[in-house]
Amino acid sequence: MKTLLYLILISGPGFSQTANPTTMTDRAAARFLDQATWGPTPASIASLEQMGITGWLDSQFSAALSDLPDQAILASDGKSNNDLGPVQAAFFQNAVTGQDQLRQRVAFILSQIWVVSQVSVHPAYAFPPYWRIFRDNAFGNYRDIVKAVTLSPAMGTYLNMANNNKANPAKGTAANENYARELMQLFTLGLTELNPDGSPVLDANQNPVPTYDQSVVTNMAKVLTGWTYPTAPDATAKNNNPAYYFGRMFAVEAEHDTSAKTVFNKVVVPAGQTAEQDLDTVLDALMQQPTMAPFIGKQLIQHMVTSNPSAAYVQRVAQVFSSANGDMKSVIAAILTDAEARAGDDPNAPVNATFGHLREPVLFLANLVRGLNGTVTAANSLNYYANEMGEDLFNAPSVFSYFSPQNRTQGGLLGPEFQIYSTQTASDRANVVSAALYGSLDKTTKLDLSPFIAEAGNAGDLLDSIGYVFLHGGMSSNLARAAADAAGAAATPTAKAQAALYIALTSSEYQVVQ
Amino acid sequence: MLTRRGFVRVAAASVGSLALRPFGLLPALAQSGANYRALVCVFLFGGNDSNNTIVPMDDASYKAYTSIRGSLALSASELTPTVYSAANAPYAFHAKLVELASMFASKELAVVANVGSLVQPLTRAQYQTQQMPLPLNLFSHADQQLQWQTSIAQGNSPTGWAGRAADYIESQKINSSSFPVFFSVAGNALLGTGATTQPVAIAPGGTLQLSGFNSSAASQARWSALNNLLTLDSGVSLAQAANDTLANSIGDATALGQALAKGTPLKTPFPDTPLARQLQQVAQIIQVASYLGMSRQVFFCSLGGFDTHAGELEAHNALYPELSQALAAFYAATQELGVAQNVTTFTESDFSRTFQPTTTDGSDHAWGSHHLVVGGAVQGGQVYGAFPTFDLGGPNDTDTRGRWIPTLSIDQYGATLASWFGIPDTALPAVFPNFPNFGAQKIGFFGPEPGS
Repeated sequence: MKTLLYLILISGPGFSQTANPTTMTDRAAARFLDQATWGPTPASIASLEQMGITGWLDSQFSAALSDLPDQAILASDGKSNNDLGPVQAAFFQNAVTGQDQLRQRVAFILSQIWVVSQVSVHPAYAFPPYWRIFRDNAFGNYRDIVKAVTLSPAMGTYLNMANNNKANPAKGTAANENYARELMQLFTLGLTELNPDGSPVLDANQNPVPTYDQSVVTNMAKVLTGWTYPTAPDATAKNNNPAYYFGRMFAVEAEHDTSAKTVFNKVVVPAGQTAEQDLDTVLDALMQQPTMAPFIGKQLIQHMVTSNPSAAYVQRVAQVFSSANGDMKSVIAAILTDAEARAGDDPNAPVNATFGHLREPVLFLANLVRGLNGTVTAANSLNYYANEMGEDLFNAPSVFSYFSPQNRTQGGLLGPEFQIYSTQTASDRANVVSAALYGSLDKTTKLDLSPFIAEAGNAGDLLDSIGYVFLHGGMSSNLARAAADAAGAAATPTAKAQAALYIALTSSEYQVVQ
Repeated sequence: MLTRRGFVRVAAASVGSLALRPFGLLPALAQSGANYRALVCVFLFGGNDSNNTIVPMDDASYKAYTSIRGSLALSASELTPTVYSAANAPYAFHAKLVELASMFASKELAVVANVGSLVQPLTRAQYQTQQMPLPLNLFSHADQQLQWQTSIAQGNSPTGWAGRAADYIESQKINSSSFPVFFSVAGNALLGTGATTQPVAIAPGGTLQLSGFNSSAASQARWSALNNLLTLDSGVSLAQAANDTLANSIGDATALGQALAKGTPLKTPFPDTPLARQLQQVAQIIQVASYLGMSRQVFFCSLGGFDTHAGELEAHNALYPELSQALAAFYAATQELGVAQNVTTFTESDFSRTFQPTTTDGSDHAWGSHHLVVGGAVQGGQVYGAFPTFDLGGPNDTDTRGRWIPTLSIDQYGATLASWFGIPDTALPAVFPNFPNFGAQKIGFFGPEPGS
């Protein structure tokens, strides 16, 4: 079957049907898993084919949770423990071997929208609890994510929610606008009002309508005053506690601005409310803003499926986001089962050249290791390569994350991941492939090429085995020819497998998930 | 799309050959020397609070400064000794910018006051009534970073101003090779994206060389297979975009490797900081520019961490020494290389920050910002443009927190740099479309215009 599929694909048009049209094809399963997990493996392909998409989603929604290990607050020298290495390594270990694949993919996506970075939050122990917000709410409700992050001490440091006291007229100070602005700009509404299909709402002069202006930012800053870090064990609570990253921040009403504030869409937060009442008022109002569904929905689509979704696709997902009141399970299922996401499952479907997205470095690494039957340990240093390629885990350069959803390729297509794809990181990617195949990725990560080497006696079988795992069941004729040329010039089965894998894994056909 | 280097196609035609031909240059003893010019952008990501970069020390200004800035006001011990501009006005730099103060005194550094994104000149009244077009999404990091790079305040430009300048340089074949004009040592930057030019980026100390190849027949066959695939044109697609970048990387690797092999170690010591490593890499490229066939280059470096909503004084105490020492080392390296007159370094940043502090000892997003221009060709020791009036709700404020409305535009700043770089006046409107809105008035930091 595998060989047959390969031969048909390589020989050009004419492939029509799988033997049983009610059965999910290898191609369809591998494509789906490339969108929903850290990469297809023979086992996960078989499992999905057996369960079907609905059954697979249900199993993922209830799969046991992977965890990131809590870290010591202090290092052995008594200073702050800022070593994120064990957390980064555990992240890759979970991505490669964890059973809750979909949950981890969604959690990682959410962590790229709701960025906290070690650039300014130094202690390593801050990160596992922060990441658990996304793990635990990946299949929960978006409003719960908004509130949990807002009151998380890690975000409290990163965007200064913590100890943001009300204005002090005697000192001539004003409330800090940082979290107020980014809560709206990055986490919920974006800068301009959107139609349900993601297009900007235009005013009478054809100009986009801003979701808020500076006065709203200033007023939202007042809304968000009066929160401090959790009180550390054995410490005494103060109005402005020092940083402590376990637990939730708590309100200090004396530092909360109780005046009435007018925020986005002319919503009035009444005078005299507590800090938490003010927060709930704006969170409820945020969830009512029709712009949020396409704003968040489109980003989730871009991360999982395609950089350039059609307006209709965005609208369908936004509709589910709105009608399900931010229920993440419904939104994720809508994204992954949408006709536009699934169209390419049919090998005869017309190829949409703008469909798909460039694998970001972390996804590329995890996919590579999974596809090469890798075993990773808690001592892996895969994040070294992620960092080199521009995606250092938990260490994004700013709250704008590693790349922008609005980034475009020079050809004019949306291509978020291309923001960190340069001449340097392109060669870095090829060299990661080279290290994986011809050397080693790190001291403990073991890769196993034997399933490919076993097929290397026959070029067709070899390419088929590669295509099955890495290229949704088959290669283009051009890629197959190049890989066969490289394999043909190599002498041993191992060298043939290495050469063909090198050509396949450095190709844009693999690097851009379609 | 074309792959710019063209060389990949050549390599594909000579299957099996590892003797790659870079660009058909070579040195031709290219006209570096007197004719060479480079612009070096140092982008301060996050929005540098330039209110604390340089402080006017006349009594009225400094008194207003200390009174309004409160916990952020720098005391005498936190400032350098007073330096005097050519017009004899007193200024002091942040004490951690001591090297910059010294370069100001020796006239190698100029300050350009209150520059920012503008569609056209703007007053406080015009801002508040919104009767004039405003830059898109003021006070937003992402948008203002891009506007500093595109010089198109209306937003949504697919190209940057240095990229458009590079398009011009490349279209005029001013360099003797097809190596890209725009060279980043800090990742991709819209600044250097043009309609046709395709930038090169390397990490400081990095290489674009692909590993794992040797001269064996099998290795050469794999190399050819890799390059053959990259020659396939798949139109406007994400796959094509990926192919273009890898093809460019392979092409640049050879040219760069050969050129850098001609270099000799710089004697100038550089600090061991991220920005200094970037600038050291730039100096090493400039040293071998003639071997790359380059007589015009734009470089991009960056330093992040300037989004100081809280704990600003501590943050500046860490960031400013890195900035100051790196700029000073780089200037010294250009002197060592004999190209101090030929290289101009300038800062950009998202925006400056509110003059009024936050309750967390920081400052929020604002607008017009003071910037630094360094080089032997710069008429230094002067402040160009005007400082805002330090008055919350005053004539330069957008509202009541000291978000200064710029009195010089990015177009004027960029056009002055680009003009020195070699973009003729007739080509400036194509590079800076809004420049005519400002009367096409350059800023005089390279001295008076000929005939003006």
